[in-house]
Amino acid sequence: MPHRRVAVTSPQTRLAHARKRLRARWRVPVLDPADAERAQRLFRVQRRRAAAAVGWLFALVLLLPLVFALWPRLDTLHLLGIPVSWLMVVLIPFPAMVFLAVWQLRRAEKPEDEE
Amino acid sequence: MIAALAVAPVVLITLLIGLRGVAAMRTTSDFLVASRRVSPLLNSAAVSGEYLSAASFLGVAGLVVKDGLGALWYPVGFTAGYIAMLALVAAPMRRSGALTVPDFAEARLASPPLRRLAAVAILVIGGLYLVPQFRTAGLVLSVVSGSQYWVGVVIAGVVVAVTLALGGMRAATYVQAFQFCLKLVLFIIPAIWLLLRVGPDVRQEAVNPTEFTHFGHDTAVTFRTAVTVDITTPTTVRDTAGGELTMPVGEFQIAAGSEYIFPEGAAVPGLKGQTPPGGAGWERPLIDVQGEGYPLLGTWAVLLATMLGTMGLPHVLMRFHTSPDGRAARRTAALTVVLLSAFYLFPGIYGVLGRVLVPQLYLTGATDTAVVALPSQVDDGAWGDAFTALLTAGAFASFLATSLGLLLVVSGAISHDLLAGGLRQLRVTVFLAAVAVVLLALPAARLDAGILVTWGFTVAASTFSPLLVLGIWWPRLTAAGAIAGVAVGLLATAGAIVMTLFGSPVHGWLAILVAQPAPWSVPLAFGTMVVVSLFGRPPPWTTTAMLRLHLREQPERDLGHSTFGLDRSSTVRRMVRRFVR
Repeated sequence: MPHRRVAVTSPQTRLAHARKRLRARWRVPVLDPADAERAQRLFRVQRRRAAAAVGWLFALVLLLPLVFALWPRLDTLHLLGIPVSWLMVVLIPFPAMVFLAVWQLRRAEKPEDEE
Repeated sequence: MIAALAVAPVVLITLLIGLRGVAAMRTTSDFLVASRRVSPLLNSAAVSGEYLSAASFLGVAGLVVKDGLGALWYPVGFTAGYIAMLALVAAPMRRSGALTVPDFAEARLASPPLRRLAAVAILVIGGLYLVPQFRTAGLVLSVVSGSQYWVGVVIAGVVVAVTLALGGMRAATYVQAFQFCLKLVLFIIPAIWLLLRVGPDVRQEAVNPTEFTHFGHDTAVTFRTAVTVDITTPTTVRDTAGGELTMPVGEFQIAAGSEYIFPEGAAVPGLKGQTPPGGAGWERPLIDVQGEGYPLLGTWAVLLATMLGTMGLPHVLMRFHTSPDGRAARRTAALTVVLLSAFYLFPGIYGVLGRVLVPQLYLTGATDTAVVALPSQVDDGAWGDAFTALLTAGAFASFLATSLGLLLVVSGAISHDLLAGGLRQLRVTVFLAAVAVVLLALPAARLDAGILVTWGFTVAASTFSPLLVLGIWWPRLTAAGAIAGVAVGLLATAGAIVMTLFGSPVHGWLAILVAQPAPWSVPLAFGTMVVVSLFGRPPPWTTTAMLRLHLREQPERDLGHSTFGLDRSSTVRRMVRRFVR
């Protein structure tokens, strides 16, 4: 008779794996008052900072097409032989977005570090 | 032959790395989120690897050839989405501890119906995103090797399903990180080689676009789909058997799969509703959706869809759950912006060169293959073949990486959210889902990868992005409001897509709002969620549920499972664990 291979686990792990996932509603763990106050403060700061970052992002990405629509001359103007608008659509958004990402990362981590 | 040389190593390495991830896989968490132990750098490479799909590797350059410079806004929107993700979603979403988006919905609002609705939205997004990946795999293989379209589709399906069923997310993480590096190298080096190799005349022509009206040399055109062309002067073409055929003035039907050689100097037949490459407006960096003449509105619609859609893409969100904590997830988003920006500097080069060298692709309905068609136009010797092989390998890597992540979330949604099941069921679901997608991809050859993927983004932007943004930042959101908003967003975008595919044509700005519904469907979904929530009253614990998402995780005190050093490499982590023990 061939040997049956059995996974060796602690009884608790075996139970946890055998159980189907809990489908019932679950209660959100309570925050203790000090944590709740800290979380409330962090939430306000982070909301303000996130809104500012998203505002800049929308301004950058939505205003640049407006520039192209208002000044079609950019398509015929050449810099180093390449139309200026072609350079602008690649060389403005990407560096600006890298800067925005690093800036927002710093701003979002700062209040968390100070707590 | 070239195709086999190019694709075989990619497939083999994918499978090998996948096997490496098989070790120590015991639970659903191992399978779905790699046990949450992935460092920001590895994870951001994997996110970018997963994100740079066929639409980015091939689709953007193809759209530049077909529609003009405006297509360069797609990559801007794709990247901008990660800044919105970084600012609004990444850290709180990770802290929720949920495995999938439907999990998050349930954790925040405790509503099983919402969970099921979210799972349905995942299936729609996953379908819209997976079909073009498989379709492009089939098209690219048929272009470089002359095989049938379905062969490539089936190969892609088999490889993705096997890797995933064996290795799960852990395998997918390594595979995708590896494939990002592969794609970056395989995209940048051929671009530079092409630029140097084409010579000053082509470079001069590339920056001074002129309309494609006459064939510059004898050109073989393979029509991948049936088209009706508009002939202005009688044109005599040769077919592959050597016979001659004269196309009379007027409309002329060409069957799918036929190949004709147009002689030098022949007038280019017109296609209904499309301007040929280099025509009026081609050089403007704005997206004229459906050629209706509202380029600014079209550009904004595409940017809104891609920017907000990224935030709600389920396979990308799932990747953030593999980070050890909220801060690592946020760093992953920031690094991803950097990695993507490096990649997206280059698709434009393929696009403008493609307009000069392979403009005839616009007749064939397969402009997506412009990238892989370029090297052989520039150099018909060994170098041309070598670079075709490299680009094909890169393209194949891009559908594999993206399809891995997508198939994982689709299977996760079916097996984890719609039905409650364990690991074995999840593995079976992966195979069934792959078969379904292959069947859907077989008749989809004529749909543009870029367009389909943008629809996937639009659905995500109108369902998950309001759910996540309001769920994370607005304590008054109720389950009823969330369900109403997601349902309205899903119905609105699905309706618009069905209208575009099968409905009667509409014109003017209305056409843009039907083809790219983001400008109205996203505010509609947000508005519905807010209004319905304001009528209800959230349960008393919701404020706590929301605030918890903004609190930094405490390092665990348990010595055996210390999280100290989790942002280090696995070797460092192993040593840290030994010291703490």
